[in-house]
Amino acid sequence: MLAALQKLWRKVFKPPEDLVAFPEVFEHFQELLQDHQKVMEIIADLGEKSGGDFIFDRKYLQDSVNELHVLLLQLIKGLNLISSNRYLDLYATLDRIFVPLEAELRGRLSLAAEMPLTVALKELPVDHPELSGGKAANLGEISQRLHLPVPDGFVITTRAYRTFLEQNRLESRTHALISAWLADETDTLHTSRQLQYGILAGVVPQEVAREIRRFTENVPFWAVRSSAYGEDGELSFAGLHESLLQVPARGVADAYKKVLASLFSPEALAYRRRMDMLGEEAAMGVLCQEVITSQASGVVHSLTLECPETDCLTIYAYPGLGRPVMDGRARPDRFIVARQAPHQVKSREVFPKEYIVRPAPGGGEEEVAPPPEDRDRAAIGFETIQTLAHWAMSLERYFKRPQEIEWAEGPAGQIWVLQSRPLAFSQIPDIPKVEVTRLHAQYPVLLQDQGVVAHAGVGSGKVFLVQSDADLGRFPDGAVLVTRYTAPWLARVVPQAAAIVSERGSPAGHLATIAREFRVPTLVGVEGATEVLKPGMEVTVDTNDRLVFAGRVQELLRYELMESTAFEDAAEFRLLRRILKRIGPLTLVDPQDPGFTPEGCRSVHDVIRFVHEKAVQELMDLPRFLKRFKGAQLWTLVSDIPIGLKIWDLGGGIGPEARGNEVTAAEITSQPLKTLWEGVCAPGVWSTEPIQVDFSGLMSSLTRTTEAATAAGFNLAVITGTYLNLHLRLGYHFNLVDARMDPDPHHNHIYFRFVGGVTDLTRRSRRAKLLADILSKYHFKVDTKGDLVIARILHLPQEDIRQRLLVLGRLIGFTRQLDMQLKSDEDVPVFTEKFLEGIQSQGDKEAP
Amino acid sequence: MAQNKLRVLILDDEPIVCKRLKPSLEKLGFEVDTFTRSFEAMQAVEQARYDIIVTDLKMEGMDGMRFLQEAKKLHPETEVIVITGFATMETAKESFKKGVFDFIAKPFNLNEIQKVVLRAADKIKGAAG
Repeated sequence: MLAALQKLWRKVFKPPEDLVAFPEVFEHFQELLQDHQKVMEIIADLGEKSGGDFIFDRKYLQDSVNELHVLLLQLIKGLNLISSNRYLDLYATLDRIFVPLEAELRGRLSLAAEMPLTVALKELPVDHPELSGGKAANLGEISQRLHLPVPDGFVITTRAYRTFLEQNRLESRTHALISAWLADETDTLHTSRQLQYGILAGVVPQEVAREIRRFTENVPFWAVRSSAYGEDGELSFAGLHESLLQVPARGVADAYKKVLASLFSPEALAYRRRMDMLGEEAAMGVLCQEVITSQASGVVHSLTLECPETDCLTIYAYPGLGRPVMDGRARPDRFIVARQAPHQVKSREVFPKEYIVRPAPGGGEEEVAPPPEDRDRAAIGFETIQTLAHWAMSLERYFKRPQEIEWAEGPAGQIWVLQSRPLAFSQIPDIPKVEVTRLHAQYPVLLQDQGVVAHAGVGSGKVFLVQSDADLGRFPDGAVLVTRYTAPWLARVVPQAAAIVSERGSPAGHLATIAREFRVPTLVGVEGATEVLKPGMEVTVDTNDRLVFAGRVQELLRYELMESTAFEDAAEFRLLRRILKRIGPLTLVDPQDPGFTPEGCRSVHDVIRFVHEKAVQELMDLPRFLKRFKGAQLWTLVSDIPIGLKIWDLGGGIGPEARGNEVTAAEITSQPLKTLWEGVCAPGVWSTEPIQVDFSGLMSSLTRTTEAATAAGFNLAVITGTYLNLHLRLGYHFNLVDARMDPDPHHNHIYFRFVGGVTDLTRRSRRAKLLADILSKYHFKVDTKGDLVIARILHLPQEDIRQRLLVLGRLIGFTRQLDMQLKSDEDVPVFTEKFLEGIQSQGDKEAP
Repeated sequence: MAQNKLRVLILDDEPIVCKRLKPSLEKLGFEVDTFTRSFEAMQAVEQARYDIIVTDLKMEGMDGMRFLQEAKKLHPETEVIVITGFATMETAKESFKKGVFDFIAKPFNLNEIQKVVLRAADKIKGAAG
């Protein structure tokens, strides 16, 4: 009661806001910028470490997270000091992000309440095999990363399994039974029976049962499969655990118990004991998928060792449902196919089919003789063979190991991936060790010791040079992507690439992040790559050793595939990726969005983005600003371009010769501001001709004038020698540029935001489209929403930042009145051309 | 050819270090054995002579420092390369006095350690020839 009164009191008699004095703001803002920079560097560093080129340990992860935590506390404190404590909510945000991060580092998260009991396969979090078990985790990656068709379904997680044990009070009982068995006090069969009985007699927890019902209500039949943790990983439990097919929706909960019980079958118990896995507790995820009524099904082995001299894979296929082949009773057709596209069929063996299995009319399965015309016919056609070979190579490229893939062809001819796991060879092939010196003698080395590793690995294929997004449509599967810039629009072809080599870019850039997601071996910053790697040339890229060989280095590829471990699957790298997911992604892009709040921050990156934006806004708040900056040195830019720009120099941005409070462009020593201004002042950019306005454009310009005018009239650049934060309001356009231009490319970035205009939203959106088109050509990552354009670019060398700031300067001038002229969508490409021509006519330096 | 290969022992209690280092050194023509437990590495050193040892400094059980002292006592000509956490520079310097060839701070990239191991190999070959 008293508190409520106090609150009311404060509301009514609000104390005058005490503004922080200028020198303090100055200091806090500078520190804030530095901390922001440090955080960006740690994020970039963590990203780079996830590419496999570095050896790190848990200590490094712990140290990085701690350092981030300290920096973020400082940043939040700084913002609150500038803003008279208006952002105290951010401390709660920080807890929300860092508590699970630290739990993750301690390895405690897997059983935390944050984890779901069930989850749709499509939404299964990747890098959490301990949540879903190995089989489901694999399928999740296949569907989410590789976008191959996987039958729809859901996973009952290992957390549900724990809940099941808890609620049925089975934990200590299970533990006691197993201990007795390990001490040889009881025999296997007896132990197994006791354990299984406990589970089968148990009750599925209500909340789990409810979710099972929710998932299964609209699909009549389900496949319910085991997905134990560790299964389909390094150890193969193949066939040890139960899988139930054709389960009616009502029966899924019971089937779930049966699959759980199979964790304790005599065979499974004996196997885990042999593998010394009983120390850690077994956990069972269960995968439920819609049943595919197949007209053919089978298995692909992505590498066949029968004919080692030729590079081939094997496809097995049999008509009808998969049962006859699974049971080993029928002899499937066999196709030996070239691994390289176009996947030529090297040999085909088609056997007569004595019987097939199909769904019985009343439910279940039945065995029938095939129609006579199908008896001697191949189970699958050419198209299916091509698709399967193609997928097998994608799966192998991604999982870095020869794969055994179960597939099914539906009645309408659609093909599905049912499972993919590492292929176990019956005899371990003898793979000769590869020595780099020997390879050097055999294959010409095209590039060596150049560039930085964004993702480690080996890939081979024909060089495909991408110069513009028009080339992307022709990108062949399994080619080596060679490019000058790591433009974000390249992301589309990354999953198809065998390797990527780029002349520019950094391992922390957007494309590098995507390459890591798809595990594509990638080298960035390879000077002159496009001159050495010519289109169509067959090459082998080994980013482990930063080597590019001419030709296909078969022994190296085979060695990588068979011998070296895929670092991507190591627990340390999974942990780093999980941590990065809570740190790296930027989801708060648009400051006008209602979700741009402390609550909306989902990652560390979001928080620093938010803090930076609000700190700058705090400075831009005009009435406060004027009050606060009385006595501060603010320069006014004297220029032919009538912008009335005020400049606040935090250090090194204005030459010592400047006097009074006016400064000319020549006296500016802030590299980014100087460069941008050069662009704005380029001949012909600042159009002074009157612009023809048509009626509808004029009308909407009139209606918008009043609202826009009130906020207009304050243009400010906050600068240092290498930094620029510019707020520029030109008429009804609002530009924001935040850029750093340093000799070290890792410090550099440009952030550009453009919004507003006088005409109707359609025209303003056209202008947004035009800006997006032009900026993409300069390799910015561009997001647009209505008339808002946000463009970002990272880590380019000074010269490249310079080129882009010049272009931004020109764009700011060029688009000043443009939306009046963009009368139809067709005008967009016309004006894009016009702008680019304008640049080209000034010499080639700024052309994309 | 094979008998000329230099033998490298790697000891680090984080399995990932061994997993990544082994193939990268094998590719350079070394014969590599890896260990995550120091007593097992100690047994290996007692049974065979390694030309180069790469070891982490801080581990559970036996300390990396003690392992390298013991190993050096058995085979004084073995070159030892010490991996250390970034913050433990001082300890690393101390270990220099005990005849360590070089040290390298985690996190490091594969190329860095390859270079150090190759330098150690050159020294060994130089001494032999």
